[in-house]
Amino acid sequence: MEILIQQLVNSLSVASVTILIGMGITLIFGLAGIVNFAHGEFLMIGGIATWFFVGMGLNFFVALVLAMVVVGALGFVAERGLFRFTLDRPMNGFIMSIGLSVILQHVVVRVFDEFQKSTPDPLNTVWVVGDVHIIAMRAVVVAITAVVVAITYFGISRSRYGLALRASVADQSTAELMGIPVRRYVTGVFVYGSILAGLGGALMIGLFPITPFVGSVIITRGFVVSLMGGLGNVNGAVLAGLVLGLVDGFSAGYGYPEWTDAYSLVIMIVILVVRPQGLLGGTLGPKAS
Amino acid sequence: MTLLTVEHLYTAYGAVKVNHNVSMTVGEGEIVTIIGPNGAGKSTILRAISGLLKPKQGAITFDGRNVTGLAADRMAGLGVVMAPEGRKIFADLTVRENLKLGAYARKDQSGVDADIELMESYFDILATKRDAKGGTLSGGQQQMLAIARGLMARPRILILDEPSLGLAPVMVKEVRSVVAAVRDKFNAAVLLVEQNASLALAVSERGYLLQHGQIVASGPIEELRESSLMRELYFGEQSAQAGE
Repeated sequence: MEILIQQLVNSLSVASVTILIGMGITLIFGLAGIVNFAHGEFLMIGGIATWFFVGMGLNFFVALVLAMVVVGALGFVAERGLFRFTLDRPMNGFIMSIGLSVILQHVVVRVFDEFQKSTPDPLNTVWVVGDVHIIAMRAVVVAITAVVVAITYFGISRSRYGLALRASVADQSTAELMGIPVRRYVTGVFVYGSILAGLGGALMIGLFPITPFVGSVIITRGFVVSLMGGLGNVNGAVLAGLVLGLVDGFSAGYGYPEWTDAYSLVIMIVILVVRPQGLLGGTLGPKAS
Repeated sequence: MTLLTVEHLYTAYGAVKVNHNVSMTVGEGEIVTIIGPNGAGKSTILRAISGLLKPKQGAITFDGRNVTGLAADRMAGLGVVMAPEGRKIFADLTVRENLKLGAYARKDQSGVDADIELMESYFDILATKRDAKGGTLSGGQQQMLAIARGLMARPRILILDEPSLGLAPVMVKEVRSVVAAVRDKFNAAVLLVEQNASLALAVSERGYLLQHGQIVASGPIEELRESSLMRELYFGEQSAQAGE
């Protein structure tokens, strides 16, 4: 039983990073129609930036905020400088993003090196509840993710901006006729998704070491989660992230650990065959007119 | 007072040229129509004015200000608002959310709330169906919502693209009285594009007749109605439709 609860907390913390990356992908595709394959590198840069700032002597959580700012700025430059020009041709944007992901990896390797990086444990606390040992940092990761999920969910479903975003997804031209500055909102969503990737990277390096190549692994998981949940559907990304995180955690604890990645991909394939629109239904991306 | 001026407008979709040298005006509180056969380029003029399509050449002036090429969201903010062809109601959003979105460019929240009530009292179907999804409304109800949504921006000119398209005859009559009300109750000028020439002629004060992307006749509606070209074109279109 203790092991079960510990596995659950561990799984949830891993699921948190997956949810953050999947939510970013799902928002950016669903609302802006951009498939950004470099999103995993955005996460990696978030992690490396955190490591860098911690190395400069900053507190981990200060470094985390700075990393979010760095990746948000990177997202702004990428959207305004690159993806803006491929909005009419999403396939071009997709291929471009693959190139961007390789370039970003190489830049990081060039500026730093290719070796694994880690930060000292940000919180050196273990909570003991009965026989259950909970590593405080893992609980913090779960809590931060829960807050971010709640903010995103209510922002989209309740706020004036969320309403305008949903209208923009449904019909861009008509949204513009209503006075909604759709283009600016596309940039805003891209930057927001990028900030989530930055946060995901920072939390990840708070849990375990990462390399400059972690992005290519994580991007697959991000797309698995966003497709499984239904592209553009935040709730779907959260649900799929939880499913995946739990499957991972428990297969590592109880099943064949070396099959961990295969389990999640098999689940994705089954879901996409049986329910092509994803678990909770998604969009096909924004419509141009 | 002239509110909107279009001078020597040329439009195109890629290499396909649509409008040639179109010049027209709409005065404050005036109801003006553009009529012409299918494919004459009526809607394209409206898209250029409302900011959805950048003109190739020409100038558009609104309230003394050059607004040529300004994006649609900016135009809506200035008070040039279009209810697009096919109504384009946000099907997954509620009636009330659709109305709210119509006022997106406005900053006066209390005025917006008051206007929602005003629309609901004027178009009672919008009160009855307040929380229904836009997509569940009938065509005629959607058209009323589209016009009300446009009015929520407190436009100085409301552009209506084919408001009677696909509506039952009884609803067409309703559209007719609503167009008059847009001016009389909500103080907006109206620029109307209609296939249904009898509707357009009945509600408008002035008109432009468009053929092959160019204006071929214009003037007060009584003169336009009597023009031989109008009769020929309108009659031609009728027989073409009968032949379908």
